[in-house]
Amino acid sequence: MTTTTPPPAPAPTAAGAAGGVASVPLLSVRDLVVRFRTQDGTIYAVNGIDFDLAEGETLGIVGESGCGKSVTNLAIMRLLPKPAGRIERGRILLDGQDLVVLSESEIRAIRGRDVAMIFQDPMTSLNPVLTIEEQMVETIRAHRTTSKEEARARAIELLEMVGIPKPETRLKAFPHQFSGGMRQRVMIAMALALDPRLLIADEPTTALDVTIQAQILEILARLATESGTALILITHDLGVVAGMTKRINVMYAGFVVESATTPELFALPSHPYTIGLLHSIPRLDSDGDEDLIPIEGRPPDQRVEPVGCPFAPRCAWRIDDCWSDNPGLAAIDGRAAVVMTGPAATHRIACFNPPTHDEALAGRPLREGFRPAPPPGTLPEDTGFEGLGSEEALEALEPQGAEHSPLLPRDEALLDAGRDRGQYPGDADRDSHR
Amino acid sequence: MATKAATPATVRVPVESRASRGLWRDALVRLRRNRPALVGLACIAIFVFVAFFAPWLAQYDPNKGGLGKTFEPPSAAHWAGLDKLGRDELTRVMYGARISLVVGVVSVTVGLTIGGLVGAIAGGVGGRIDTILMRITDVFLAIPGILLAIGIVAWLGQGLVQIMIAVAVANAPIFARILRGSLLSLREAEFVTAARSVGASRTRLLLRHMLPNALTALIVAATLALATAIIDVAGLGFLGLGPPDPRTAEWGTMLTDSTEALRRAPWLIFAPGIAIVISAIGFNLLGDGLRESLDPRLKR
Amino acid sequence: MIKYIVRRLLGAIPVLFGLSIILFAFIHLLPGDPAATILGQHARPELVDAMRHRLGLDLPLWQQYLNYVGDLLHGDLGRSFVNNRSVVDDFFVRFPGTVELTLAALAFAVGLGIPMGRWAARKPQSFSDGFITVVSLVGVSIPIFVLGLSLQYVFAVQLHILPASGRIDPRLQVPYTTNFLLIDTLLAGRPDAFVDSLRHLVLPAIALGSIPLAIITRITRASVLDVTHEDYVRTARAKGLTEKRVDGRHIMRNAWLPVVTVIGLQVGGLLAGAVITETVFAWNGVGKWVVEAIEAHDYFVIQSSILIFALIFLLVNLVVDIGYAFLNPRIRYS
Ligand SMILES: Nc1ncnc2c1ncn2[C@@H]1O[C@H](COP(=O)(O)OP(=O)(O)OP(=O)(O)O)[C@@H](O)[C@H]1O
Ligand code: SF4
Ligand SMILES: [Mg+2]
Repeated sequence: MTTTTPPPAPAPTAAGAAGGVASVPLLSVRDLVVRFRTQDGTIYAVNGIDFDLAEGETLGIVGESGCGKSVTNLAIMRLLPKPAGRIERGRILLDGQDLVVLSESEIRAIRGRDVAMIFQDPMTSLNPVLTIEEQMVETIRAHRTTSKEEARARAIELLEMVGIPKPETRLKAFPHQFSGGMRQRVMIAMALALDPRLLIADEPTTALDVTIQAQILEILARLATESGTALILITHDLGVVAGMTKRINVMYAGFVVESATTPELFALPSHPYTIGLLHSIPRLDSDGDEDLIPIEGRPPDQRVEPVGCPFAPRCAWRIDDCWSDNPGLAAIDGRAAVVMTGPAATHRIACFNPPTHDEALAGRPLREGFRPAPPPGTLPEDTGFEGLGSEEALEALEPQGAEHSPLLPRDEALLDAGRDRGQYPGDADRDSHR
Repeated sequence: MATKAATPATVRVPVESRASRGLWRDALVRLRRNRPALVGLACIAIFVFVAFFAPWLAQYDPNKGGLGKTFEPPSAAHWAGLDKLGRDELTRVMYGARISLVVGVVSVTVGLTIGGLVGAIAGGVGGRIDTILMRITDVFLAIPGILLAIGIVAWLGQGLVQIMIAVAVANAPIFARILRGSLLSLREAEFVTAARSVGASRTRLLLRHMLPNALTALIVAATLALATAIIDVAGLGFLGLGPPDPRTAEWGTMLTDSTEALRRAPWLIFAPGIAIVISAIGFNLLGDGLRESLDPRLKR
Repeated sequence: MIKYIVRRLLGAIPVLFGLSIILFAFIHLLPGDPAATILGQHARPELVDAMRHRLGLDLPLWQQYLNYVGDLLHGDLGRSFVNNRSVVDDFFVRFPGTVELTLAALAFAVGLGIPMGRWAARKPQSFSDGFITVVSLVGVSIPIFVLGLSLQYVFAVQLHILPASGRIDPRLQVPYTTNFLLIDTLLAGRPDAFVDSLRHLVLPAIALGSIPLAIITRITRASVLDVTHEDYVRTARAKGLTEKRVDGRHIMRNAWLPVVTVIGLQVGGLLAGAVITETVFAWNGVGKWVVEAIEAHDYFVIQSSILIFALIFLLVNLVVDIGYAFLNPRIRYS
């Protein structure tokens, strides 16, 4: 477990000062900014995110399509598509070593050996013209000086571990002779070939049959735990991360908007987007007649530099500041000292006007007379904001029985109350992210 | 009967018509931003313009010799020089554009019609008819391109119409193949399945839903085939299978003449050579541009 | 795999059948009477009748067809109208020249096209990519005879560094054994003649190879670019493989597949192009033979050469498809 005050990165030299064994986390991402330069302009894919990962820890990253989950992790591997994708800013420290500044050959030594990755689509992630054996053996031999026979023996051992029957004969097969689930097992086996310290699984089950998904996740979880490999699991599916990970980062439009331990995130979801996510999926334990509230509107166009809170156009809680300032990720209780990893990790959100627990349960603001702040430059009565979120959706989000007068002013008192409750990140923290 | 009232033919599937019309409009927008395609269009425009207005643009008579010394090098009066009979080479190249344009366009159109029909029947009807038609196309495809045309001209005798037929027959099997191929892949396309699920008839499915979409590939192929056709027509001329009257101003025939005088009058290669290359480049660029515009995924 | 080859061989039978019908029709539907054509317009009727009998033209059509196919199966392609020489014999005298030329052109196109395509794909939209794109555009747009004449003029007439035409300097007097001059010169122990025939080969090979060069360059570029974006290439990098290995083993092994297909498709174009190239460079091969036959209205030779070209084309395509299947395990194992 590491204790630190973000955003300054933990100084490697401070390690051991507190008497802890591992005061340097395995992975420490600081102020990571990734952009794509394309013909259609710049794409602001990842906009300054911070997170740590301890040795052996499991972290889930959730968020809707395009929010930057894959890009974040490709950046860690330094595998962003060239030449469009670039790490513009930030540090990615693995054991205190900054991966961003490593040379191509230095990062290559780390890929596959220290950090391994499993991709979404097992149908396309294996080379169709090479046998499983060739692909596994070359992985092992890229990092270890072993004979082909030794590498082959290791490959058999790995295939056994992931539950592939008759591995000796299957080694000679080509990918197209395997089913999707089997291929993903091969990918897992290959990723674990060199006992990496960090395994990144990017939606490893999205492309698979529902019945296979559970098996693959079980294998992944078991092997990661057995080998003490830290795991980053990327997914759309909150249900998956709930069972698989100890901690969750919720991403939205290239920002981490909420970060908490898994139990805490589900018990006390605090960011409007997280709340929206939880309300938009059916819960397995519900009796079925629970109201699903879809998140209206679309994620922002990432071709424009983000201004303000990225969720503002779709947020029922937004206030005027949300349009102009970016709420940095900060402790939910306003404390300055933040625990970045482990079971006592600080619950952090990026929000100016956090919903209360009751509102989180209801999925909408419950404050008397509260209306989301209209976009800047519009008259108060001008509630439609260019197609982002439909009128009906806003009305659905409106407090029950509230007056629907377009001229209703924002209730400053309520906001102040929210601030007084201490759910509001300090200004200093907020500004540090811009 | 109630079921009769809702005859399949009256069911409208909006997906398709919007899809194909939008496809063309989008393609046009993309084409306008495709600089190589615009260059190609400019080349074609020059070619067509010269072909149409050759009698007005040219200062001389293409068949009148003795305008100066034979094999006179390029000069202010004769930009491309004079040929072996003292005819103005530039004038002849301009008139040659007419033959290339007419023969090229007619032969590709004829080939497109024959090939299109065969491909549509094969891909639309399927089954045994498809097998038979495709076997026949295979036979023609087994005879390499211009060799087939050579054989046909050798068989039918020399003449512009014969050249048109030869080039058309050489192209038709290619068009048939392409159209059939895209029809087959369209069969599985979502909007076709949608139309089928609401009970559109087979003919209607083919004519209204599949053909318009399959035509895109064919149009691209036809544009590229125009480039080949111009080259092939000149090739036949070069081999002495051009227009029966050897005096006719035809690019390939002119090049044969220049071969005989390569040492004395090398410049005679350039005017007809450049004319062929420019018109072929024009159609190749436009064809590539069309392909990219119609299938944006191809673009990088 | 064997099954696949057998299936492909069987698939060629209907094509051959159709081809024989077309070529049979070619002679028998000729405008006018072939016998009269052979003997000229003013031949005496008895002579024409005798000729008709000799050629079997007085038999019923179906019997003539059977005879034709029977002859074909015996490898008998008949005799030239013009000089009464055996078509097969003449063909084998001419064929090595065409093979030499075609292979040289193919070597030029493949040897240059693949590196150029890879080079262009390395940095899409860069200057070198643009340059290669333009070169290949001109390559497909310039007819063989225009390029051939230009090459002749520049390198032979002006610079005098390469011979303008022919397969070898006749003064060198090399005995013909295989009719492959590159082999014959070596068999005769004449390195000077070998070099000379190699020099004769350069310009025609470039002229004939320019279109395949352009096409192979384009397809290589496109294919490498395609594969570069495949997930398995990212996997290969994620495994920590060196860039060289990613390129050679993961990208090229897959990028090869469409390139091989396209190379196979070029063979038809090369054979057809040989007709023109051989005419431009006075190259003594099958192509020039065909053109001479056309000039002489020697229909048996035209008919037979088309048949042989088609056979070669089908055979090469078969070999290419098998090669493709060999490179692609998805076909090999199904
Ligand atoms: N190669 C690329 N070129 C341009 N933009 C890209 C590229 N790859 C990703 N992006 C952009 O970066 C942003 C983040 O993409 P990313 O793939 O990380 O999303 P994601 O969260 O992984 O989504 P998904 O759940 O669909 O996998 C998106 O807006 C996407 O458009
Ligand atoms: S309340 Fe404001 S800061 Fe919080 S999520 Fe909504 S828009 Fe963003
Ligand atoms: Mg992703």
